[in-house]
Amino acid sequence: MSGAVRALIAAALACAMGSAAAATPDLTGVWINDKPVDMLKAADGGAPPLKPEAKAIYDQHRATAARGDRSFDGVPRCLPPGLPRLMLMKQPFEILQREKTVYFVYQINRLPRRIYMNESLPQDPDPLYLGYSVAHWDGNALVIDTVGFNDSTLLDNAGLPHSDALHLTERYELAPDGAHLRAHFTIDDPMTFTKTWTARAEFVRKPGYELREDVCAARLATPAKP
Amino acid sequence: MARIRSAVILAIAGLALALPALSQNRPKTLHDSGDPTLTLTPPLRGAAVAPPGSAAPNADPHNFEGVWWLQGYEYMLGPEPGVPPPLKPEYMKVLERRIRAKNAGTPEADASTQCFPHGMPRVMESPYPIEIVQTPGRLTILHEVAHNIRRIWLNRDHPKDVPLTFLGDSVGHWEGDTLVVDTVGLNDRTFIDDEGSSHSTQEHVIERFKKTEGGAKLDLVITVEDPVTLEHPYSYHRTYAWRPDVRPQEYICEENNRNAPVNGVTVAK
Repeated sequence: MSGAVRALIAAALACAMGSAAAATPDLTGVWINDKPVDMLKAADGGAPPLKPEAKAIYDQHRATAARGDRSFDGVPRCLPPGLPRLMLMKQPFEILQREKTVYFVYQINRLPRRIYMNESLPQDPDPLYLGYSVAHWDGNALVIDTVGFNDSTLLDNAGLPHSDALHLTERYELAPDGAHLRAHFTIDDPMTFTKTWTARAEFVRKPGYELREDVCAARLATPAKP
Repeated sequence: MARIRSAVILAIAGLALALPALSQNRPKTLHDSGDPTLTLTPPLRGAAVAPPGSAAPNADPHNFEGVWWLQGYEYMLGPEPGVPPPLKPEYMKVLERRIRAKNAGTPEADASTQCFPHGMPRVMESPYPIEIVQTPGRLTILHEVAHNIRRIWLNRDHPKDVPLTFLGDSVGHWEGDTLVVDTVGLNDRTFIDDEGSSHSTQEHVIERFKKTEGGAKLDLVITVEDPVTLEHPYSYHRTYAWRPDVRPQEYICEENNRNAPVNGVTVAK
């Protein structure tokens, strides 16, 4: 192969790679879940495949919540809601998409997530409220893998439990209109569920919206007048 | 992890106490009075610079992206180390009261102890790393400490009726290679500094950021104006080091907030 042909092929490859990179959608902006859910269901509408002991905890959470007792839940005490619960609330969040790191910053209590691109998951992660996240682009989809959750958070508002073995995979695909973001949450937690299962959510852009300073502890200290 | 880092910072604090050179030639008491009830908290030595072999700093003077860590930590943010802000006499008395309370072991609760944001300019004086993210029209500063976040909007004015918040409304513009950030709209629930210098809702903070040493350092000159609590505006200088080897950790102040009510009832004593 002549040098000139090699150069041509190299240029064509670079061009193709360049256009592939250019096709990566830019998710930067403010988003909100307009159809929030309190009880997370599987994508087929079915109940989460809880193991019997986890179902007992879930039922107990729902029963105590029905009596107005949410002491099982850290969120009223300003602890982070955990995942995917944060994504199921009607709370604006912004995505700041950079090459090496993608940031999800939630309005609620100003919680940040850092998602490191094209890295491996840690072998022995620290237990965190929001876990340790890595991601890659699968075509046009941003796929985020998160491990290293502590077991004090809940998967949804209703009180769906999980263990510290939770491995959450989030898949975000920008709709052709650029204004909707479709998400699949795959929940792999053999301590809690009989099998891996997947739930769905959708987010809409809030163009022009700027996240406000929400300070949960200040809200508690000065409750709104009835 | 925040706990691990806290332990490291305490160890650093211990080192600072063991290094008299650091606190030489600076007042050890407020007004250099020698009054032990007005003893100032000694500075922390602060974080190290990036270790050898770390990624080279970005040479673009307008690109601040990345993790930075303050060099040294001052408990009082006056024009010079150990010198208080030029507080009006009535607010100097408040500062003296707070320093005496601290030295008596009964400190007044400030914003940070209640898991509120630290306020300005204090949030920029953190012994934890900060991370700057640059997106079109914006600089975002993600502070490890208590998940503080500042959004600096480029090339626009403050809104007409700016709401009062803990970290205020920040706008910025470039003057050559210096980023000038202007902040107003600060509530008066925070202090200027860790010792307890007061500011009002009329506080106005101007920050001038500039990369130096080929991007290995970020210089910051902060000017504080407050017609209510200060005799006159003043400025001080700080330096952050480029730390590509550091990843900010999850820091959940609220985990230890024993004042938080459960089902509307405060259980902590």
